[in-house]
Amino acid sequence: MRIVIAEDLLLLRDGMVRLLTDTGHTVAAAVDTAPALLAAVAEHRPDLSIVDVRLPPGFRDEGLRAALTLRATDPDTKVLIVSQYVERAYAVELLADGRGGVGYLLKDRVTALDDFLDAVERVANGGTALDPEVVRQLFTRNSHNHGVDGLTPREREVLGLMAQGLSNAAICAALVLAPVSVEKHITNIFAKLDLPPADDANRRVLAVLTYLNH
Amino acid sequence: MIRTTASAMAYLVSSIVAGFVGLLWSLAIILGVGLLSITLAGGPAFLGTAWVTRRLADLERHRAGWVLGSAIPAPYLPIEGATVQQRVSAVATQPATWRDLAWLVVLFPLGLAGGIAAIVATVVDLAAVVAPAWAWAVPNPRAPFPMDPLMTTMPGRFGLTILGVLLLPVTAWFLRTAGLAQARTARVLLAPGAHRCLVEETTRLVQTRRRVVDAQAAELRRIERDLHDGAQARIVAAGMTLALAARKLPADATAASDVDLARRQLDDALTELRRLVRGIHPPILTDRGLHAAVAALAGDSPLAVEVRGDPDDRYPPAVESAAYFVIAEGLANAGKHADARTCVVTLARTAVTVTVTLVDDGQGGADPSGSGLDGLRRRVEALDGQLTITSPPGGPTVLSAELPH
Repeated sequence: MRIVIAEDLLLLRDGMVRLLTDTGHTVAAAVDTAPALLAAVAEHRPDLSIVDVRLPPGFRDEGLRAALTLRATDPDTKVLIVSQYVERAYAVELLADGRGGVGYLLKDRVTALDDFLDAVERVANGGTALDPEVVRQLFTRNSHNHGVDGLTPREREVLGLMAQGLSNAAICAALVLAPVSVEKHITNIFAKLDLPPADDANRRVLAVLTYLNH
Repeated sequence: MIRTTASAMAYLVSSIVAGFVGLLWSLAIILGVGLLSITLAGGPAFLGTAWVTRRLADLERHRAGWVLGSAIPAPYLPIEGATVQQRVSAVATQPATWRDLAWLVVLFPLGLAGGIAAIVATVVDLAAVVAPAWAWAVPNPRAPFPMDPLMTTMPGRFGLTILGVLLLPVTAWFLRTAGLAQARTARVLLAPGAHRCLVEETTRLVQTRRRVVDAQAAELRRIERDLHDGAQARIVAAGMTLALAARKLPADATAASDVDLARRQLDDALTELRRLVRGIHPPILTDRGLHAAVAALAGDSPLAVEVRGDPDDRYPPAVESAAYFVIAEGLANAGKHADARTCVVTLARTAVTVTVTLVDDGQGGADPSGSGLDGLRRRVEALDGQLTITSPPGGPTVLSAELPH
C-alpha cells in the first residue's frame, strides 16, 4: 500500500516510516507540515495518508484541518489521524460526512503493531478506526444518551468495538461470541438507534456517529 | 563652588521677578475664574488657566533645577475625559493643580526675601573688598564707631578689603544655603506627591501582574507542547522500536512476554502523561479556543450541558485557561455533589470583561470556601477577576466568574 505521512517530529516520522516499510508498505512521501501534506497527496495520490493533528506552522490542529480539506476536495481520500491526545469533537468532525475511510488513533497505538496495521488496512479499505480512548470517553458518560440508554451492556460492548471500527468477525473474536449472536446484537443496536436499513458499512458509521453525538 | 554660588545667586535674584509674576497670575486667575465660574465659560476658563499655570510651574521646576542639579519631575496625571465637565473634574481632583497654585502664591514673599537678602549680602561684601577704590569719595564724619575709622583712614579701607575677602566664603555659603532652601521648598510643592506616587505604583503593579499572568499562561502552553513533543514523542518512539523488535522475535521466545510487558508499561506512562497534560493545559484549548474546549467538556460531562455564546470569540490565553478550569470544576461539582441533571454554561463578553456563568438544576448547598472553589477563586483573582457563587439549599447553584480581558 502506498502511504503519505505528515508528522513534524523527526523521531516519530522516521519511526513510522521504518514500521511501515518493515511491514511491506511503501511510504511515498514523509512530510512535516500541513501545506506539504496537501502537495504530497496531490502529487502521489496515495492509498492512505497518516497525519498528525498538530503540525507546523501553527502547532494547533493544522493536520486535522488539512485532512478535512483533503476529504472535502476528494471524498475518496483515506486519512488516518494519529495524535498525542484524542478529542471526541475531532472524531465527530472526521466521521461527519458518514463516508468512512477515516481513522483517529492515539500515537501510542502505533506500538501495538498488529492492531495498528489492522487499522491502516481498515481505513484504506473505506472502513473506520477509532481509538479505544475515544470510545472509553464515551462510556464515562451515562445519562441523556437517549438512544444509547436503551442498549444492554452486551450491546454497548459490541457498539464500542464497532465504534473502534472492528468487523463482525473481529468482534466475534474479541468477545468470544458466535457470529449469529453478534449479528443479532448489531441488528438490535441499529433498531434501538433508529437507523433504517441501508448499506451496512454506512449504517455502522452512522451508529458510531449517533453514539458520538449524544 | 563659584558656579554653584552663581547659580544660587541667579536663582534667588530671578525669584523676585518670578514671585511677582506668580502673585499677579494667581490673583488674576482666582478672581477671573471665580467670577467666570458662575457662567458657562467657567469650565473652559479653568482649563485654560490651569494649562498656563502648569507651564509657569514647569518653568519653576526648571529654575529650581539650577540649584538642585536637575529639574523637578512633573507630577501631572493624564487628563482624560470627553466633555469639558469631565476634564475639569480630572484637573481639579489632581492635588498637583492646587500645589502648583500654592507655590505661585508662596513664591512671592519667599522670592522677595531671598532675592533681596542675596543682593544685599553680595553688594555689601563686594563693596567691602573694593573699599580702597571708592570709600574715600564718601567721607562721612558722622559715621558711628567701627565704620568711621574703617571708611575714613587708608589703613581702615584696606582693613575693610581684608574683612571683605574673609567674608567672601561666608557670603557664598549664605547664597548657596538660601538658594537650596528655597529650591527645596519648591520641590516639596512641585514634585510628584503621594497621590501621584500611589497612582504610578498601582499602574506599575497592574502591569507587572498582567505580565506575570501572561508569562505563566505562556509557560503552561510551553510545558504542554514540550511534554507532547519531547517526553511523549520519545516514549512513543521507544514503543515503536520495541514493536519492531518484538516482530523479529520468534513466536515462542521467552523474551516475548517481557517485551509485551515493557510495551504496556510504556502505554501506562503515556496515559499518565496525557492525564497530566490535560490538567496543566488541555490541548484543545490551544487548538480551538475556549468555546470548543467547553463544548468538549460538555460532551464529556454526565450532565446534559447547554453551551451559549459566540463560538468564534477568542480571549487572551490566561483568561481562556482560567475560564476553562472554572467551567471544568463547576461541571464536576454539579455532577458529583449537587446531583444535577442539566447545566447551562454561558460565555458572554462585554467591552472589558468575559463572564462565565454556570447554572445547574441541582440541590444547591455548595460550600464557597471548599478547597476546589477556593483554588478557582484565587486563580480568577490573580487575573483581577471575581468569582461569585450562590447556592441556596434546594438549588439552583449559580457559579459566575468575571474576568477582565
